[in-house]
Amino acid sequence: MAPAQTQRNAAKDDVWVPTVCYMCYNACNIRVHRVDGVVVKIEGNPESPHNGSRVCAKGHAAIMGLYNPYRVTKPLRRTNPEKGPGVDPGWVEISWEEALAAIADRLKSIRETDPRKLAVLSFDTQGFGTLGNVWTTAFGTPNVNPGSADYYCGNANHPISWSVDGTFFSEPDYHYAKYCILFGSQHGIPGFTKNPLGLAPRLADARQKGGLKLVVVDPYCNTAASKANEWVPIRPGTDAALALALANVLLNEEGIYDREFLARCTNAPYLIGDDGYYARDGEGHAQVWDQASGKAVPFHTEGARPALEGTFQVDGGRQARPAFALVKEHVQKYTPEKAEEITTVPAATIRRIAREFGRAASIGSTITLEGKVLPYRPAVADWSKGAIAHKHGMHTGWAIQLLDTIVGAVDVPGGHLGVSSKGPGWEPTEGPDGLLVPAQKIAMGGIPYPPKKPVRPNTAEVNELFPAASYAQPMLLDVLKDPEKYGLDYKVEMLINCRSNYMMTSVDPEAVAESFGKIPFIVSFALNIDETAELADIVLPDTHVLERLDALPNRIYGWILPGQGEWYWTVRQPVVDPPPGVRHWTEVMYHLAERIGMLEDLYFTFNANLKIGEPFRLKPGRVYSHEELVDAYFKSLFGSEHGVAWFKENFMLKEPRSIEEAYPRPFIKPRLPIYLEHFKRQGPQVQAVTAELGLEDWDVSDYQALPDWGPCESYSRRGEYDLIAIMAKQAFHTHSFTVDAAWLNELGDQYPDSKAVLINPATARRKGLADGDEVILRTPDGKEGRTRVRCFEGVHPEVVVIPGLHGHWARDRRKYIENPGLHFNSLLAYDLRKIDMASSAFDACVKVKVTKI
Amino acid sequence: MARLGMVLDLERCVGCNGCTMACKAEHGTPKGVFFAKVLEKTTGKYPNVKKQFIPVLCNHCEDAPCERACPTGATHIRPDGIVLVDDDKCIGCRACYVACPYVNRAYLPKGILKEGYYGNGYLTPYEQVKYKEFTEGTVVKCTFCAHRVDQGLDPACVITCPTEARTFGDLDDPRSEVSALIRERSGFQLLPEANTKPCVYYLRG
Repeated sequence: MAPAQTQRNAAKDDVWVPTVCYMCYNACNIRVHRVDGVVVKIEGNPESPHNGSRVCAKGHAAIMGLYNPYRVTKPLRRTNPEKGPGVDPGWVEISWEEALAAIADRLKSIRETDPRKLAVLSFDTQGFGTLGNVWTTAFGTPNVNPGSADYYCGNANHPISWSVDGTFFSEPDYHYAKYCILFGSQHGIPGFTKNPLGLAPRLADARQKGGLKLVVVDPYCNTAASKANEWVPIRPGTDAALALALANVLLNEEGIYDREFLARCTNAPYLIGDDGYYARDGEGHAQVWDQASGKAVPFHTEGARPALEGTFQVDGGRQARPAFALVKEHVQKYTPEKAEEITTVPAATIRRIAREFGRAASIGSTITLEGKVLPYRPAVADWSKGAIAHKHGMHTGWAIQLLDTIVGAVDVPGGHLGVSSKGPGWEPTEGPDGLLVPAQKIAMGGIPYPPKKPVRPNTAEVNELFPAASYAQPMLLDVLKDPEKYGLDYKVEMLINCRSNYMMTSVDPEAVAESFGKIPFIVSFALNIDETAELADIVLPDTHVLERLDALPNRIYGWILPGQGEWYWTVRQPVVDPPPGVRHWTEVMYHLAERIGMLEDLYFTFNANLKIGEPFRLKPGRVYSHEELVDAYFKSLFGSEHGVAWFKENFMLKEPRSIEEAYPRPFIKPRLPIYLEHFKRQGPQVQAVTAELGLEDWDVSDYQALPDWGPCESYSRRGEYDLIAIMAKQAFHTHSFTVDAAWLNELGDQYPDSKAVLINPATARRKGLADGDEVILRTPDGKEGRTRVRCFEGVHPEVVVIPGLHGHWARDRRKYIENPGLHFNSLLAYDLRKIDMASSAFDACVKVKVTKI
Repeated sequence: MARLGMVLDLERCVGCNGCTMACKAEHGTPKGVFFAKVLEKTTGKYPNVKKQFIPVLCNHCEDAPCERACPTGATHIRPDGIVLVDDDKCIGCRACYVACPYVNRAYLPKGILKEGYYGNGYLTPYEQVKYKEFTEGTVVKCTFCAHRVDQGLDPACVITCPTEARTFGDLDDPRSEVSALIRERSGFQLLPEANTKPCVYYLRG
């Protein structure tokens, strides 16, 4: 029997159950050893292309979360009406019947009056993400929000990946890359960002045997930087200036760019008028200048030889220039010398890295894979939270993307790859002006192209005012306080929260408590009473990952590996039964639907949204179990022989991935944008809508066609607030819930830099600080936190680093977290001026004064 | 007979502690006891600085000072080179603990098996199962996962390593992967001056 399948020892209960981890969002495929009903070990699934036999520290420690004695196992009701951080809710146990009846009453009356008054916050992307959006749609509320991610969740990753690659995620092609610049990213390092256990051996092989040069740009010498050929320390929030200077050197000093790629695969040749918009012909087509015929022709004209530079007369005597010429001119202001002033990266280093990157890209070269000749562009720039969780983060993302676009390293071997742009039965299509639109089959919410028109808000995160972004989660806190300000004609009156700890993962817990305090009724599904569940009126127990059934946790739009390999579809299945009475929260939500009489609507929406085909469509007049719903979904996707029973036994369905699917760029027609003409068009539209709402000071200046660098609030430092605080990830923690697995707390406490503030030794000396000193960090907004000093040479001298998301204060958690540490997000005061008005990212750096206690 | 050994590639290791936790889960070691660990060392000055990650475990020395120090024969070397402690014979004198130049052994004090990770005398179902394998008042250490090796499996830390930095095999077989790595990349042992002949080798990062 293949290891991917369930393996049993018939003599007693001794079984290896294949399932999918959920200690972070990466959905690693695991096999879990259960003996006499007890989980005794977790291993990677050697048959899985996703992670093989590899499991990270968090995955192993899931056992300790499963058996955490402080798990919630009974519904709880709050008796203390006062709410806030540290306030004892005064829980009393209540029956399921009492809890469900109270919740159903509220739901029923909200649905009858205005269903939008219900908000559901959940980062359960792999469970509720499928069935849950069906529930909220059927209920009639648009307020479903991956709340846990709050102020940063790919705000300036996803919109760019969707626009360029047609996918939710993009990743470096470590199979073939020879040069990789990671901007505030640790892609391929276990414990960090996307698909780390799949990429880890690829990156290690590339570094060791593949001749990859790895350059890491970050204020902190993190793990990736420690393994890199070169660490480039940078002032926080200035990555755009560096990327634009690199682009300037490539375009204007070295003359390195992929002419053919730019002309054929991007909108670089599109003619732009003096007004900054496409110079369209009489029929509204964007045009290019055809060098063969010496005239402007529609961009899609067969056989045209489009010009990339020059100034041309188009009809009516208007002058127009190819977008590429504008890009080239635009970046000229970012001289390496100017960028050095902004970023602290020496101009000579900028020139050298640009040269190395440009030469490594080997423009014009090809590679033959499986008999197909493909462009070979083994140079890639990648970015993540470190670079873009800042004011002007959207510009930073596009500035870094520009590097990949200039050299043609997009969805070709060695470049930046969308994880699933094109697959069996799907590929991106041409949208307005020939630009790329993601395939319907993998598209989820928040796709920025075709361009959305801003409209008067209907949602509680007012994402209608952020048309270029995938969502606008950080706005929620302000909207809850004053919905009328945003033109909403309702207030959120009930919140359901699950796998989302807003109090810790958002900025400013005091602000969260104040905003959530406006919601009359909060229900938290919880594994443990976390900091957000402490604000709830009713807490319902939820299942642990090893007790859950979820369809397709390796969601095809994201949690799969890019490049050469296979397609794979999996199931998350229970290894052990949950505590008596405890059910998967999705199941409870479906049961509530039945109680409030919306089951028919729910099944109708299920059939429609998940495109369930006959004979698997849900029929009205009967009640389906959670397992039957998953079964219908599976069978509709994969045929009647591949229902939930098949997946439980066999775990994984695989299909070979063709070269066209691994590297789709040469095989697809739609172009990717280098000049964001639609983005520019959105600026005045947002201005008009916000002005109509009376939001007079709404800043639309970031709606430009070309990226620029703009400063964070921390950039100008004067006087005593002379350092910039940032946070860094730790490989053995994710989000805020991994602390519930006690092994991981103990592990963190082994390291002196865990739960400390890291300071460059020269800076520490200047301030009279030494290792172990207790210090207080204060911000100009009046936020503060205590911790101790750890001197580390790998910190930019203007910066202090707080590793991990610590500082838990929930009463139950404090019973097993001896040394909670400092909560970085408590240093960030909620202030709309710190939100990037294009991507909605909240600025994750702050000026601080560090004082010895 | 094979002489089993492990090669740890410091160039590949990223210090994620996948090994540390795989080991803990495989053996169920009590609070404070780690058979596998990752040490960190900072080298260089800003901005030419790096953090180096050095995973450590019992070196399964050929000339093991712990074995020589053991007065009861509890610490013994199997024919395949794995150094083990027989807890039936261990009297908890800790002579081996002192003798080990690598500080890779741990002593289980009285009461440790009644105190689980969550305190208050609560043992999780997992701890209840796993703690049966231990005896208070004895010394414990990495076993090279002898129970797995005997089933033809690699140690838990090896299979889980996300960067595939760990290789396990027969040092006496010149064609084995471990022998080839040591030969081709000048594998070295920790504290060679202690003359213990460790079977754990490192490759430079």
